[in-house]
Amino acid sequence: MKIVFDSYSATEVIPVAHCLHNKKLAKYFNRETAAAIVCANKLLRGLTLPTETPFYYATGTLEYEDYGLGYIAQDSADDQGKFSAPLFIEQGLSRVPPINQFKVLPNMPLCFVAIEHQLTGDNAVIYSAAASLLLCVLTAAPLRNILIGAGKVYNHGETQVGFALVDKPEIEQSPFLSCTGEAIEMFQAWALTV
Amino acid sequence: MTPRVVISGLGLVSPIGNGVNAFMAGVAAGKPGIGLIRHCSAQPFPSQLAAEVNLWGEIPAGSDVDRKAVFLEQALAELLTSHEKFWRYPPPQRLLIVGSGLDYFDLPGYIKSEQRRRHQWHSFSKNSRQAVLKLAAKYDIQGGVHVQVAACVASNHALGLAFRVLQATPHKIVIAGGADSMINPLHYMGFYKLGALSNWTGPPAEACRPFDKNRGGLVLGEGAAVFALQSITEADPQNILAEIVGYSSTMDAYTVTDPHPDGIFLAKAAQHALTGAGITPNDIDCVHLHGTGTLKNDVAEAKAMKLIFGERFSTIPVFSLKGQVGHLIGACGAIELAAVIYSLQTQSVPVTVNFTEADPDIPLRVVVGKPLATEIRYLLKLNAAFGGQNAAMVLKKYE
Repeated sequence: MKIVFDSYSATEVIPVAHCLHNKKLAKYFNRETAAAIVCANKLLRGLTLPTETPFYYATGTLEYEDYGLGYIAQDSADDQGKFSAPLFIEQGLSRVPPINQFKVLPNMPLCFVAIEHQLTGDNAVIYSAAASLLLCVLTAAPLRNILIGAGKVYNHGETQVGFALVDKPEIEQSPFLSCTGEAIEMFQAWALTV
Repeated sequence: MTPRVVISGLGLVSPIGNGVNAFMAGVAAGKPGIGLIRHCSAQPFPSQLAAEVNLWGEIPAGSDVDRKAVFLEQALAELLTSHEKFWRYPPPQRLLIVGSGLDYFDLPGYIKSEQRRRHQWHSFSKNSRQAVLKLAAKYDIQGGVHVQVAACVASNHALGLAFRVLQATPHKIVIAGGADSMINPLHYMGFYKLGALSNWTGPPAEACRPFDKNRGGLVLGEGAAVFALQSITEADPQNILAEIVGYSSTMDAYTVTDPHPDGIFLAKAAQHALTGAGITPNDIDCVHLHGTGTLKNDVAEAKAMKLIFGERFSTIPVFSLKGQVGHLIGACGAIELAAVIYSLQTQSVPVTVNFTEADPDIPLRVVVGKPLATEIRYLLKLNAAFGGQNAAMVLKKYE
């Protein structure tokens, strides 16, 4: 198994621009997507994957937001401190650019990594669980070279991502097949042992 | 030999009817489900079009209600209270795989709370996975709970994974489908700001116009649909609704904002699913398309159809449900699979509502006027997602 695991503190700059064929794409990224691009780039550097390579990604349960919720909430409150639909439309939303919608969609890390590496094969985006991610691997058609990834931005802003190229036989006996914990925890464990 | 997988039960709530019988009657009649938003204050919104679920006269209205969780609970109740076989499987042989949308956020509740001053928003965010886990516990499902979140193909992925699980391990029962509602201030206006919503100014029921020359965008819908999947040897024959014979997913890897304009990878998904089913495009009698009513999607789908079927692409009857129920995003593949079952069981292709003027760029055979009675043995279902993900499933009339 080939694995890369990365972690960034809340204030750390994620050096994603140099990984991108089209640097303009960076404006769409939240921290998880940026970290996923960098991590996948490290894992796949020097490799030529078939475009049909299956690719499954698990995103962590939501603990962190950077799309502008604070601004929206502040500007959408009326004098009594209650939600006001007119203020929400006129002021709250106007503080947040349309492009921020890409920062809330959970399939964006997978989609942008696929664009960068021209992966067009079987795919799925899992919410959270390690077992769910590995089930995708076990039911995929090919036996070897299946790309998996997981990411999470924690409440305090730390960003973690992991990517691995795995073969079915090394997953079939994995204790994580029955793990209901987050997929990123599996990469944390793998990073300590591989 | 690979085990055969069948659908042996269904439960749903939708904008055109709650429960299987009401939904099927709605499909048959071309019942409109799109109107103006009623369950929350949307008067200031620049667009107020949506296909809302009316849950037996009482739409869950409180801002703290995660509507998609309510819909999922209702759909599961319909399916599992009537599915005797489900209860005969030991709990470790029961799985639940659900396609879901974004976590719901109670913005009004958060704004009026003390927590807002400290930016402590977490308790106002309704975790979709936790909602599914809670329902799994209710039905004693212990064989695995999986939540898929690939936007508009999330429920296709859920159903596809269920199909593959049963091919690999047939002595299980998998409950799979999807639930979603984006009809709340944050998510609705997020879609609006992306420019994806219909700009229709006529009667609301006509706002979503799949394949029509005057289409102007999608309309958000909501609801849930869940299916019981079993191997054919374990299902009660009298309960079998359809057989799943092929599934595939692909990525455009093109751009996250638009489908690949030539539909290449949507076509590839279909071709892989057909290969998996052991049939050729010539065996397909009808196609239920994604048909969002957006300018780019419908053209790309027509191009994919040509890649799949060659010159036959303009003669094979096609259908889109979205003119009636809107776009259920994380649940659209599931609710539309219910319409697939309608076609297989009634041997007919429903009318695609609001298709009144053909677009020369979309030379597809869209059924108008009245449902088309025709022999349907194999049916192809296609969906595509914001981000570039595609999914295809081939279904067969049970015989």
